[in-house]
Amino acid sequence: MTQGLGSTGVGESTGSPAPKVEFSGITKRFGAVVACDAVDLSFFSGKVHGILGENGAGKSTLMKVLIGLVLPDGGSISIDGTIQRIHDPLDAARLGVGMVHQHFSLVDPLSVWENVALGDAGRLDPEAVRARVGEISDQYGLHIDPNARVGDLTAGLRQRVEIIKCLRRDPSIVVFDEPTSVLTPDESAQLFDTLRNAVAAEGRTVVLVSHKLDEVLSATDDITIMRQGRVVERMNTVDADAATLARAMVGREVSLRSEAGALGLITDDDSVDVEVDSAERDTTLSLTGLRATGPGGVTLLDDLSLDVGAGEVLGIAGVEGNGQRALADLLSSLVPLTAGSVRVGNTVIDHTKPGAMARAGIAVIPEDRHDSGVVLDMTVTENLFLVDQSSVANRGIIDMRAARDHASQVILDFDIQCSGPDAPMWSLSGGNQQRVVLARELSNNPKVLVAAQPTRGLDVGAIEYMTDRIRHAAADGVAVLLISSELEEILDVSDRIAVMHRGRIVGLMSRAEATREQLGLLMGGAVA
Amino acid sequence: MTEAAAAPTDQQTKGGRLTEWLMLYAGSVAAALFLTAVLVETTGGEWRPVMSALLDGSLRRPGRWGETLGTMAPLLLVALGTVISSKAGLINIGQEGQLAIGAAFAAYFGLLIGGPGPINVVIVLIFGVVGGAFWAGIAGILRFRRSVPEVLSTLLMVTIASQAVAYALGKPWLLLASEANRGNRNQVSEQLGADNRIPRPDIFGNEFPISVYMALILAVAVAFALKSTTWGFRLRMLGQNPTAARRVGVSQGRYGMAALMVSGGFAGLAGAAMLAGGGFAFGNYQIVPGFSGNVGWTGLLVALVASNRAVAAIPAAFVFASLRTGSGFVASTGVESKITDVMQGLLVLALLIPPAVMFIRDRRRARAATMART
Repeated sequence: MTQGLGSTGVGESTGSPAPKVEFSGITKRFGAVVACDAVDLSFFSGKVHGILGENGAGKSTLMKVLIGLVLPDGGSISIDGTIQRIHDPLDAARLGVGMVHQHFSLVDPLSVWENVALGDAGRLDPEAVRARVGEISDQYGLHIDPNARVGDLTAGLRQRVEIIKCLRRDPSIVVFDEPTSVLTPDESAQLFDTLRNAVAAEGRTVVLVSHKLDEVLSATDDITIMRQGRVVERMNTVDADAATLARAMVGREVSLRSEAGALGLITDDDSVDVEVDSAERDTTLSLTGLRATGPGGVTLLDDLSLDVGAGEVLGIAGVEGNGQRALADLLSSLVPLTAGSVRVGNTVIDHTKPGAMARAGIAVIPEDRHDSGVVLDMTVTENLFLVDQSSVANRGIIDMRAARDHASQVILDFDIQCSGPDAPMWSLSGGNQQRVVLARELSNNPKVLVAAQPTRGLDVGAIEYMTDRIRHAAADGVAVLLISSELEEILDVSDRIAVMHRGRIVGLMSRAEATREQLGLLMGGAVA
Repeated sequence: MTEAAAAPTDQQTKGGRLTEWLMLYAGSVAAALFLTAVLVETTGGEWRPVMSALLDGSLRRPGRWGETLGTMAPLLLVALGTVISSKAGLINIGQEGQLAIGAAFAAYFGLLIGGPGPINVVIVLIFGVVGGAFWAGIAGILRFRRSVPEVLSTLLMVTIASQAVAYALGKPWLLLASEANRGNRNQVSEQLGADNRIPRPDIFGNEFPISVYMALILAVAVAFALKSTTWGFRLRMLGQNPTAARRVGVSQGRYGMAALMVSGGFAGLAGAAMLAGGGFAFGNYQIVPGFSGNVGWTGLLVALVASNRAVAAIPAAFVFASLRTGSGFVASTGVESKITDVMQGLLVLALLIPPAVMFIRDRRRARAATMART
């Protein structure tokens, strides 16, 4: 199946077949922002089309127009040569358009087949649904137990459920939106095999939306690059290379390391700026033999040991769902250990006591800020004093004016876009909420900074800002633990790199020693 | 990245919002009154005399607004406790029972200790708090040691509380008054002595216990504590995001337990204030079966209508107290006095609708604003 990439007859199309889907002059404005600016685009049956662009380039909006989630202000879409008005996802489904979303929309407590049947009208026929799930999983090699509880599945398997949900309706056009963010390199390859399979065997149209150059290069037939709502470049994949794509995507030569990191352009021979011997540092955070189990006795952490020195950035690479979350939660006093110890400096921290980690000087930028990072119904000011009120409180009474003054200053310092210190947290955009979290965590003079997926969902400028702040924190002597599933980010910022797999550290190396291949193998569970 | 906040805080819309709120409240209260009037007419009464009797009983007749204020105090106290537990994300609906136990504690220990006047009044009130906190504390232990939902345990313990008080009222070594003092009644506690009662000064022909002032001061104090103390801040954090609260060291057991006990303490204080405050509505400084008289339940409604804001609970408690004191006069018009219960229900709905409508409108606006930005 792996040779499928080259053998599907990319160039064999006879003459010029009619396009399956044709966008002509699609325009969508949101207020003053033009998300899509007169986009013309064609998709063909039996091909994999890549759409590449930064966050905010308009690629998602364009796909939302196709799926009926967004109505265009101008232009038209034709499917099989007929102009169609797609008002909602039901229209899209009728026309054979299916989409596998970036964020899973699955119900954890339900089983696989129940999730697949969700949204069906009429009487539920469990046997038929289960049979259909089995059929699809055989047909595309998406093996899954229809009776498994979705909450127990790994991210890769959950994505299979999403794909089955989509394919069950037998769509002739399938859109994948950033599908590999939760997959191992192996699982990604498998997914692309599936894409290829669906196209070659059945003549479906596949659209792959991504901001990662390498996967677009390896999995598609042609590539459309979008920037600021426009199509800026169109090429056959065989003619494309990473540098050209990156230039077209960003609109200028890519020079900054963090930019390159964000685009997946870091190469292995990139030299590390300053090499510091980690043995010389004082160990600030010391994790020894950590073990933790989750609900239902699932092993989250399995004899994990790690030391992070002052002024060092230790990157933890790994596919999502291999215990990184538990590690961050542990350091947020949210998960207790069954064995092992956490030390900051020479003090052992009580892992069972709420808030003990924060009091010991462990700052956390959580993976899901809505979970433990912010309180959405409180104001920006209150969120800035969530962890420590001692600087604005006197004998238990909060000096609201001082708090507000301080908050106004922080809003300026960290360039937080909001209507003021009293703005409710929910009124801020994701990037600005993230800045509030960052500002708060750094303001408490932490000894340790845990940054879990800190740049997820941010655009290139915001990513740069975030990585800069993390580097600065390290330069100020903070021990930084960077947890990320983006290999590029890890390679870009870290001094040392650890790889996590199934709750344990399976590899530890300095940045200079690390190669993408080796990290990829370790992430997939290969023995070092 | 440059999107500004979607919060509806623009200066020019502020006045518009206030008008919008007022219009909504006026409209829905008018609808509730209209429905009540229709109901009175269809059941054979006349709505004018009924409304008039309601006003007479609650405000107009001599001494009536004092009576209404006296009724407001325990309602407000119960509501304040409810506000505190709700802010911590806990649903305490057992105030009726906590109030009864608080009153029983107050009666038992107040009579047992019996010190000099004013000090003993304070002792009575303190034991009311202790009783209510104790009763809510049981639900707290079940909640935080055994994960029993506090909604169920507090509710079910209302029944246990009324049984327990009834039992105590039957036993001379507990609450039952001596034979000389109870006459031919067999379930009645000893009266609090004259110097163990809360003073009821006369103001313009109206008299009410000074516990009314206490309740008002506590309302402001609760509002301040929730907004501007670290304790209140952490309590709200626990209610709005327990995970974030745990990360920063707000122990759910400790703060949640405290919130439940304070909440029960307020209900118990209300019970003690009813016992020691007297007045037409709450009997004769002694405990009788059914002493709590739905004050716990109505206090819950007060907190609900005030959408868990301590200061807003003051006018809400006054409205509900007026319905209570006014309903006695409605009977004299020949209309079933139960009609005021229906009216109370309709008013609760009427007062709950505007916040719901505003919530939906705000969300729609926010969504429109978001759509315009992304």
